[in-house]
Amino acid sequence: MTERELNERLRQAVENAAPDDLEAILSRCGNGKGTVIEMKKTSSASSGRKRRYMGLVAACLALVLVAGGGGLFYQQAYAVASVISLDVNPSIELTVNKSEKVLSCTGLNEEGRTVLADMGGGSDLKGAKLDVAVNAIVGALVRSGYLDDLDSAILISVEDSDADRGARLQQELVASVDGVLQGASNQTAVLSQSVTANKALDDQAKQNNISTGKAYLVERVLAVNGSLSFDALAGLSVEELRDLLTTGAPAMPIGKDAALQAALAYAGLGEGDYSWAEVDPELDEATPYYEVELIVNGQETDYGVHAYTGEVIQGANVSAMNPGPALPQGSTPAVTQADAEAIAMAHAGVQDVPAVTKQDYDDGALRWDVEFRADGYEYEYEIDAATGAILSSQKEAEPVPVTPNVPAAQQPAQSGGSTASSSSGDIGADAAKTAALAHAGVDASQASRMKCEQDYDDGRLEYEIEFAAGGYEYEYTIDAGSGAVLDHERDRDD
Amino acid sequence: MTQETENAGVTAGGELEELLLRMGAGDRQALAALYSRTRAAVYATALGLLQNAADAQDAAQDTFVKAWEAAVRYRPQGSPMAWLLTIARNKALARLRRRGRQQTLSDEEWDAIPAGATVPAEDRALLQRALGALRGDERQIVLLHAVSGLKHRQIAELMDMPLATVLSKYQRTLKKLRVLLEGDDAT
Repeated sequence: MTERELNERLRQAVENAAPDDLEAILSRCGNGKGTVIEMKKTSSASSGRKRRYMGLVAACLALVLVAGGGGLFYQQAYAVASVISLDVNPSIELTVNKSEKVLSCTGLNEEGRTVLADMGGGSDLKGAKLDVAVNAIVGALVRSGYLDDLDSAILISVEDSDADRGARLQQELVASVDGVLQGASNQTAVLSQSVTANKALDDQAKQNNISTGKAYLVERVLAVNGSLSFDALAGLSVEELRDLLTTGAPAMPIGKDAALQAALAYAGLGEGDYSWAEVDPELDEATPYYEVELIVNGQETDYGVHAYTGEVIQGANVSAMNPGPALPQGSTPAVTQADAEAIAMAHAGVQDVPAVTKQDYDDGALRWDVEFRADGYEYEYEIDAATGAILSSQKEAEPVPVTPNVPAAQQPAQSGGSTASSSSGDIGADAAKTAALAHAGVDASQASRMKCEQDYDDGRLEYEIEFAAGGYEYEYTIDAGSGAVLDHERDRDD
Repeated sequence: MTQETENAGVTAGGELEELLLRMGAGDRQALAALYSRTRAAVYATALGLLQNAADAQDAAQDTFVKAWEAAVRYRPQGSPMAWLLTIARNKALARLRRRGRQQTLSDEEWDAIPAGATVPAEDRALLQRALGALRGDERQIVLLHAVSGLKHRQIAELMDMPLATVLSKYQRTLKKLRVLLEGDDAT
């Protein structure tokens, strides 16, 4: 196939796949010159969300039918309103009643029981509100070192015969866990799913000492590659299962234990020869591997073990006291946060403006994501944490904030401006700000640098709100229709 | 050898400039015409970044709404397609940021191009494989080049990457795609 033919095939494929949304777009664009923003929900604009929902429903139905459950909700047999599971490698399951009080909390595997040891094996959490119990468990997972790695993942699964309540619980738990992890400056990915369980899947989960939620995730991997074994997959961590899904599950990974053994064999070491070992899966890299970190006589060495062949692809013999080639590590970067901000601001030609800077991992390399505002522009930079090189930069004019000072003639007729809520389903900017402040527990008089913008996402009108208070910077996404907190973030305001 | 090819069917820049100027004057027919000429390129830009058909559809919609609002301030600068795709890229990146670390594991999350009557199975399979196998930058470069007709130099500017990097990634990705589509005997 020539280059031209290949390009033409791709072009044709995208041309055919691109949806025709002209009507929806025109309905969002007013009749005047380009200043009017249609804020009403359009059926086409919300089609993506609807499709996703329908897809999930179809998938759930399919799973139930395949398993022969014929729509039986297994958990109805118990007088429990919802079953929530938390999986990292420890698997923990909670049952709650309609008032969202914990009825039981159980460690499903050995690691889960160890995490709950300080909480009476889970019995201390009985009677607690679900969000309190989940926060306590996530806190224990962080303290136990299960969520230390930058690529860690926690899976929250909600099983509820009442789909609306299940969806709400899922959303609240994700926000709550996210809040705990942010407070601990932790970068773990928070995955969530709604689960429609059935007896067969539940039995399979029990046999493997995992939650029904994790069993559901295993089923998804099996749907991608049916040649893999349920039992073997059940032994993998959520992070490994997620990576398998994103990479098409090409084969069964060797697992962390086998990777450790491969590294030890390569280094000529036995079980008692090292003081510390940690194995981190990197299955979504171009060459999938396990990173094995060994400390021997105070010397740290990293090894890369191919995830599917078990071959040591990167490493060094410990006896040579020669650290292996650079592998992604969570260690202190050569370029500090202050350096990264200085590099970005020098490039932008601005000086000493407040910046929001986060560490991030991409393609196996550590980098700094630096964001700041100056002179009416928003700047975003990605700085290589090893070399200080600017990997990407973006400069965008700040959106015009929704303020009462904008002349009426320039305000969109349908949006109602900042305080009005003339259009149906828009609580107005002031109410949105109040909702965000209330959620953050911040009094309006204490908040500074308040910014409020309307946004249109997934066919839904939202308010994006930012403010600073008490040494923190807050970011909120508020549903304009209900005032619900859809997303929130709190960062140190340095 | 690297070639800077103009793709068949790609609209000349002068025509797009004209449409943007008319949009700035409030001409909705011009918006419809711009949409039909650039719909695939905008969608490809969003899809390359977001890897999800529903998100890419939303970002593409947002792009054209933003272009309509901003057209009044548009001044001819020689590359209207690059201007439009900069908006598309920013809209997609904003969505990626919002998506952040939270991920809902609905089945469609793992199904970049959902099966549907509107997308031929062959095209869907091709895009699924390309999206799944190519890395972030590679995916964006090859899609932008194939669908938008932007030259490598313009892609380098859009993605804020050195031209040499774009060229080498493009060549490497083409080779990878050939192997993917034709097997190991691809040349």
